[in-house]
Amino acid sequence: MVKSIQEQLKNTDANISIDEAALVAQAKAGNMDSAQRLILKYQQRVYNTVLKMCGNADDAAELTQDAFVKVIQNINNFKEQSSFYTWLFRIAVNLTLNFCKKNAAVRFQSLQNETDNELKRQLKDYLIDKTSPLPQQVAATKEMHSLVLKALEKLEPGQRAAVVLRDIEQMNYNQIAEALDTEVGTVKSRIARGRKNLREILEAAIQ
Amino acid sequence: MKDIEHIEELLNSYLDGELDERKSNEVKRLLDHDRQVQDLYDSIKRHKELINSVSFTPVPQGLYENITSRLERETLLANTEVYSHKAGRRHLMVRRIMTAAAVIALASVLSVVIFDIFVPKSSRDKLITNALRKEIDKKVIYEQPFTEAMPVEDKKIVPQMPYDVSLVAILTLKTNNPIEVDWFVAKALTTTNLFGQTSAVDRQPGSVRYVINCDNESVANLIQELSFIWPQCTDTKMDIGTEQTGKYITVNNINADQVIEICKAENLGQRLRMAHDLAIINKITTPSAIDRVYANADIDYDFLTDQKPALAATEKTDTISQPLEPLDSATVTIIVISN
Repeated sequence: MVKSIQEQLKNTDANISIDEAALVAQAKAGNMDSAQRLILKYQQRVYNTVLKMCGNADDAAELTQDAFVKVIQNINNFKEQSSFYTWLFRIAVNLTLNFCKKNAAVRFQSLQNETDNELKRQLKDYLIDKTSPLPQQVAATKEMHSLVLKALEKLEPGQRAAVVLRDIEQMNYNQIAEALDTEVGTVKSRIARGRKNLREILEAAIQ
Repeated sequence: MKDIEHIEELLNSYLDGELDERKSNEVKRLLDHDRQVQDLYDSIKRHKELINSVSFTPVPQGLYENITSRLERETLLANTEVYSHKAGRRHLMVRRIMTAAAVIALASVLSVVIFDIFVPKSSRDKLITNALRKEIDKKVIYEQPFTEAMPVEDKKIVPQMPYDVSLVAILTLKTNNPIEVDWFVAKALTTTNLFGQTSAVDRQPGSVRYVINCDNESVANLIQELSFIWPQCTDTKMDIGTEQTGKYITVNNINADQVIEICKAENLGQRLRMAHDLAIINKITTPSAIDRVYANADIDYDFLTDQKPALAATEKTDTISQPLEPLDSATVTIIVISN
């Protein structure tokens, strides 16, 4: 049944066609099929956001499970004052931020020593010399992917959450404010500072 | 510094498409005219695109199945927890109540045992009586003080004896003519056929004692026969035996009719009641004639105070449930004393 739902979602571009409000209403009524559809619809996006925030695949999988279990168990408490999507991400981000606070590792070590010369050169070409116009080409390698994630990890959790939700999840500022339960002004400030800090971290890595 | 931060915020918002049209136009103008701002904007944009271009990581295999299985498991656990919680709470409450009841019962039993061991029986009875607020009626023998010599109602002083005793009486006759009186006594005994029932005749200097064992009626007849010698006597008295061995009520200055009345009494209680009344009456009427030796002060009123216990622990109840049968036997001693 799960496979059939997954295939249905893939084949029909169900992310768009499934009426989210109807699914939520049915899940509230105890329909497990609808709850499963909601899980299938959002599991990849939630997992990737959590992964970019916590930096560990196993932790991200565990936190994603926690988030969906919590959402389905408390779906009757969902007042529909925001969209289901932002409510789901709010729960997932809160769980991840709490996890990050509990498991905060002190990371004073610079990325400079962890970056090999070739990677440094590629990144420098892209960020400073601007000789490589396509970021996809730069970020395509596994090493660059890992470097970016490590740079994100070095951000303060609030800034990291704002940057991830904006630049990876593509949320607008209002959605980010709802997900982080804060003001839009705070979101602007966190994104600006987060990007600045990230820039400094990456530029330091290529020196 | 603040300006730079503000410009950075504006540039980021512009890049993200979060500025309104007016602010967007301002930023555009700024970017067109300021090379430094343009470079900063390019840098921000490139970094954003780099982050944005980080590829999506595929979901780990089995994530969905794990979520659904965890949901099922936690739903089951939640139901079990609710059930267990309710059942456990009920069980705990029952156990607490039962424990409290057992402790109270044990404490009560221990209190009774300790009370029984350490508190004397009299104190216990008193405590119990006070606790129950029961007032025990005091037994009133005489409503009026005895010294006022008021007639006392029979019901208040007649003991309800479950048994009776024989008439035991000593009639003492003092006379200046002892020989004559003695002769009349002997004659009366013969006349009433009581001489044969006279167990002893003790003749001492100055006195003669006759001890007669007969029935009450015979004693009354004897006294009737002797009534005419009363004028010959200077003093008379009669000691009425009580149920206590060796104790008597003394009636001074007694006349023949009074003796007969006492002898005809149906039982000991009535006999003692009469003796008591006559002792008072005779004292009032002729106090000066009474020998001080046998004054009423000698009366032992303890004889009249209380009846004996109706039932000893080992006695059978059917012995007292029988109707009172007056004993028709008498031991009368007549003493004639010379003055």
